[in-house]
Amino acid sequence: MTNHWNDLQHTDCALIIGANPAENHPISFRWLTKAKENGGKIVSVDPRYTRTSAQADVYAALRSGTDIPFIGGMINYALENNLIHKEYVAAYTNGSFIVKEGYDFNDGLFSGYDETKRAYDKTKWAIETTEDGKPVKDETLAHPRSVFQLMKKHYSRYDVNTVTAVTGTAKEDYLKVCKTFCETGKVGKAGTIMYAMGTTQHTVGSQNVRIYAILQLLLGNIGLPGGGINAMRGESNVQGSTDFGLLFDNLTGYLGAPKATVPEHATLKGYLEKETPKTGYWSNKPKFVVSLLKAWYGANATAENEFGYQFLPKGNKNYSHINLFNAMYKGELDGTFLFGTNPVVGGPNAGKEKEALGNLKWMVAVDLWETETSSFWQKEAGSDPAKINTEVFLLPASASFEKEGSVSNSSRWMQYRWKAIDSRGEARPDLDIIHELALKLKKLYANSPKSADKPFLALDWNYGTGEEPDIDLVAKEINGYDLKTGNLIASFGALLDDGTTSSGNWIYSGFYPEEGKNKSKNRDNKDTGGEHYLNWSYAWPMNRRILYNRAAADPSGKPWSQEKAVIWWDGAEKKWVGNDVPDFKAVTAPTEPGGTGAFMMNKDGVALLFAPTLNDGPFPEHYEPFESPVPNAFSNTQLNPAAVVIEGDFNKKGDKKNFPIVATTYRVSEHWQSGSMTRNQEWLSELAGHMFVEMSEELAKEKGIKNKDKIIVSSARGEITAYAMVTKRFKPYSVSGKKVHQIGMPWHFGYKGFATGDTANRLTPHIGDANTTIPEFKAFLCNVRRAD
Amino acid sequence: MAKEYVKYVDVTKCDGCRACMVACKNWNDLPAEPTEFLGSVQSHAKTTADTWNVLQYIEHENGKGDLDYLFRHSSCFHCSDAACEKVCPENAISYTKYGTVVIDQDKCVGCGYCVQNCPFEVISLKTYKDKNGKEYRKSHKCTMCTDRIEEGLQPACVTTCHTGAMEFGDKDAMIQKAEQRVKEIKDRYPNAMVYNPQGVGGTHTVYVLAEKPSVYGLPENPKVPTSAVLWKDYAQPIGKAMIGATTMAVVGAFVANKFFSKKAGNDAEDGGGSHE
Amino acid sequence: MSNYQKHPKANVKVRRFPKAFVWAHAINGLAFFALYITALPMYTDFFNWLYPVLGGPAMARLLHRIFAVVFIMPTFILLIFSPKFFFQWMKELITWKKRDLQFFSEFVKELFGFKFKHIKQTFFNAGEKINSVIQIFCAILVIASGFTMWFPEFFPRALVQWGYFLHNVGFGLGIAVIVGHVYLSVVHKHSRPGYSGVVNGKVPAWWAKGHYGDWYDEEVKKGNFPDLDDPKRKKGA
Repeated sequence: MTNHWNDLQHTDCALIIGANPAENHPISFRWLTKAKENGGKIVSVDPRYTRTSAQADVYAALRSGTDIPFIGGMINYALENNLIHKEYVAAYTNGSFIVKEGYDFNDGLFSGYDETKRAYDKTKWAIETTEDGKPVKDETLAHPRSVFQLMKKHYSRYDVNTVTAVTGTAKEDYLKVCKTFCETGKVGKAGTIMYAMGTTQHTVGSQNVRIYAILQLLLGNIGLPGGGINAMRGESNVQGSTDFGLLFDNLTGYLGAPKATVPEHATLKGYLEKETPKTGYWSNKPKFVVSLLKAWYGANATAENEFGYQFLPKGNKNYSHINLFNAMYKGELDGTFLFGTNPVVGGPNAGKEKEALGNLKWMVAVDLWETETSSFWQKEAGSDPAKINTEVFLLPASASFEKEGSVSNSSRWMQYRWKAIDSRGEARPDLDIIHELALKLKKLYANSPKSADKPFLALDWNYGTGEEPDIDLVAKEINGYDLKTGNLIASFGALLDDGTTSSGNWIYSGFYPEEGKNKSKNRDNKDTGGEHYLNWSYAWPMNRRILYNRAAADPSGKPWSQEKAVIWWDGAEKKWVGNDVPDFKAVTAPTEPGGTGAFMMNKDGVALLFAPTLNDGPFPEHYEPFESPVPNAFSNTQLNPAAVVIEGDFNKKGDKKNFPIVATTYRVSEHWQSGSMTRNQEWLSELAGHMFVEMSEELAKEKGIKNKDKIIVSSARGEITAYAMVTKRFKPYSVSGKKVHQIGMPWHFGYKGFATGDTANRLTPHIGDANTTIPEFKAFLCNVRRAD
Repeated sequence: MAKEYVKYVDVTKCDGCRACMVACKNWNDLPAEPTEFLGSVQSHAKTTADTWNVLQYIEHENGKGDLDYLFRHSSCFHCSDAACEKVCPENAISYTKYGTVVIDQDKCVGCGYCVQNCPFEVISLKTYKDKNGKEYRKSHKCTMCTDRIEEGLQPACVTTCHTGAMEFGDKDAMIQKAEQRVKEIKDRYPNAMVYNPQGVGGTHTVYVLAEKPSVYGLPENPKVPTSAVLWKDYAQPIGKAMIGATTMAVVGAFVANKFFSKKAGNDAEDGGGSHE
Repeated sequence: MSNYQKHPKANVKVRRFPKAFVWAHAINGLAFFALYITALPMYTDFFNWLYPVLGGPAMARLLHRIFAVVFIMPTFILLIFSPKFFFQWMKELITWKKRDLQFFSEFVKELFGFKFKHIKQTFFNAGEKINSVIQIFCAILVIASGFTMWFPEFFPRALVQWGYFLHNVGFGLGIAVIVGHVYLSVVHKHSRPGYSGVVNGKVPAWWAKGHYGDWYDEEVKKGNFPDLDDPKRKKGA
């Protein structure tokens, strides 16, 4: 989230797309209800009329996988009707930048495409620069090769008729959405876009988020209270997990992982030179990388050994979930550790993922219960135990209430939690398990001469001497130290690249600035202004509650409006003041160089309408999902040209003839992810005890299905049985004049626990987004029939 | 008169999260029940002895042909004139000073009269087995967490409600709030109304409904069943009077007989007269 | 002692009721009394002290149900073992004549010990007929409503709700009439001699003749009963 949960109450309009917060992020509705009381509007865009839609002022249906046309059309509508905040766009975005000759767009393809590699040469999308490397600008936004004009041209194709013919939205509903949300382009108004997995789990997932950002920038909604683009995270600590490098291509703190495929990454110097922009806050990257290496390798990280840079593995592959399981399927992996993960229910094409597990020599599952995954070899899972040679270890883990530590929520708040009750039986916190494992392995490797074991031995593992690690030492390591004095470091601003500082995660540096002051333990619920509650927990970075809040003030430093003021320049005090921590250098005056660079993480200090960094194009463009019932109406390029397709048995593709129905998956309030936590809870299993498939009355009639019937849903990858939930809340779409049906189903179920049912992910494909490889769970093809 | 409280339920603010259902089970330590698939996301058709509140999900096409997806937290209304209290033969059901209606489990004999007479059908019997394997039954419903109110807390469902769809407070203030809220939402829900039925003397759960009561399966004009009024207010007292009257008549006859017998000096059956 | 009792044939007994009726009546009476006792604490708090005696509310209800079944049985006993009597009874109940009305005014006098005269009655006098009609009516009410109360799941809610009311009405009315019935049969000096009729089916002939003249005379004609009117007395009469 650029903003935070409480801040939703300040919105004038919440556009909720690719998310169903009333059901899946219910607490957001505490704040949205307040927003409504203050006159705010809620717009719900979803393939199905959800409980969120029920609370909305405007609802519009869209076929799964058509977010880009939907929002592209809104961009076009805002531009055509002059509803944008032009001054904001000129000052705070790269709309005024001139794009070099060489950028082009033709029939769904941007320039620089290499079909054999399914990849673009991004250098073809460069910005014109002056001799000193500064971008060439036209602040009137009129230059034909300005980003603004190119964007306008790009989205002029997204007219209302074409858009609604693709999305299947009723035209009047669509226009109502456009009108309602684009109102927030006015000064004094702020709109927010709230999204979740319905946005990201597509082959165009990253570009879906990108196009939200473009719309919000055009309307001047970023940096304002009640504005922003707000990703609602799928679990209490998924924000924390990505912050701490759980994404396959990240080191901790969103520092890119070095790769063997990039020659410059062979040395630390090369890596830093290649990956560090000259301007913007990321120009400090070397300080963060070296401090991270110092945190990990301690005294073993010296200037002489590149601070241990060579201890880092340098991969040559895409190690995303899909690819890992593909490798497992092909027998390329020996073993796996699964901490609280249940791919036999949660993974795409889950039937194949289950088969893949059988190719492992060993598996260590750390979980609260025996999950479908840790029991994949059992008869109940449909396996023949005699034929599976995988040795499975199940380590009982403690639940969150049984251990101490922090979680980071969608608001980026790092909140410390204390242990409420003791663990049962032999269950232990993950941290203890990892700690003991590390100590034992270190002992085992102690005298190993193998170079592969060196990184392990070099690890600085000093979390106390007991069996249980000292979690406070872990917290301090994350914050970092001034290694010369041994004191905790005040903030990431004090980190250095000479090996005299350390920080386990630079973005969190500052949460524990001095002994006894772990700010994630802050629990002062007094409003410090603007309902930001600055003394409640700690929001990274530097306790800023609204990111890019510099953009809430005009270039001269005055708030665009009093209603939406956050920070402003105080000429007398010569600093930025307000009710939030400035996401800006607090003493840089608006008139100083960089004084209007509201998006300081970017190298030019502006937000990117044109993003030459993404794998699949600088502007989001519509491509149909991997499996789609219709041809792409915008171009002859059917599928995202940069999405990586796994061919063959591991990822069968269904055609629209056999599988004419669009399907999507989602969650229900009562169950959490693959359900291993909640389906083992009786009260929740009672409330949501059955696997169901929602479908329209029209489709049910066509298929001779009655409500509550048992039905079979099939895709190219498998079949599942479920109850039919025939509802008025799903309606067939009219897509280019053709009737297209869509169904939806929860993906929580498996055969373990109190609430059991078939697993929806038996149906989903093994294909991912072009940038993140997140699987396309949210749009695939299937068919349905009665079970009897 | 102690302070009367009302649970205010604004269904238009409810997002159907069902935390109220779990909070209720948690506080009252109620077991989960096996649930059938009902064809919607609703978990239970209605309240049961182990599920004191149920969230209703209703797909309703309103007058304009638009779809409304309505939710309602349904549980005991805590009527001011409670049919259950009226019909209970064991005086197991009583009003508390807070206005809540509670069942004394020690007194309840499981006869089920309350179950049959509740105009809202929110009371249910549960069958238990004692240690000898003998079955017995007890009647259950929402207590409005009277045990929490006594300790200065609010009902568990209200405390957990995150959208402000439920509030708990002074009766008059809550009713006023409901009336105000209806005015605010009339544009969006033209049929919106306060549901505080006077046929049962008003209730201590007061709703802001988005639609007519019948849309939620609620009676438009609920009242204590006429049969229960006739039974408890007429038949029973009259019956008692009749037993008394006949008994008195018999006693009178007995005494009179003795008296006349003595006077007449004989006890001739034919009264001294003849058959002819 | 009445004239008849001084009569030489004063000890002559005649059969008034068949054995089946005796049994049926006894079972019915017993069940009624048991139902009455077990219902009392449910009916009014005044009798709550009966619960401990009955083994608690649950046991009281169980007993009530057991006796409810017992209560229904006599009808079938009569129907099976003495249908003739049953139908005669029913026939009497629907036959009403002027003398039935005259009976009542005299009955009140008799009841309270005033001077009265016997109005000739058939097998049942008008009072007994009223008693029977009301009791049958009440029995139907309590039995029918009892079913809805016992098995509410098989009946519409409204029926069950009205069942409670009707059960109550049937009980209230029934018990009021029964009090009189019992008084007359076991306490009141004039009707008391007939009590043996429900014990062994036989009653003193003189009493039968006095109370049910028409019936007695008919039975005499049929040769079933002895003629109590000896010629000597007949003259003077």
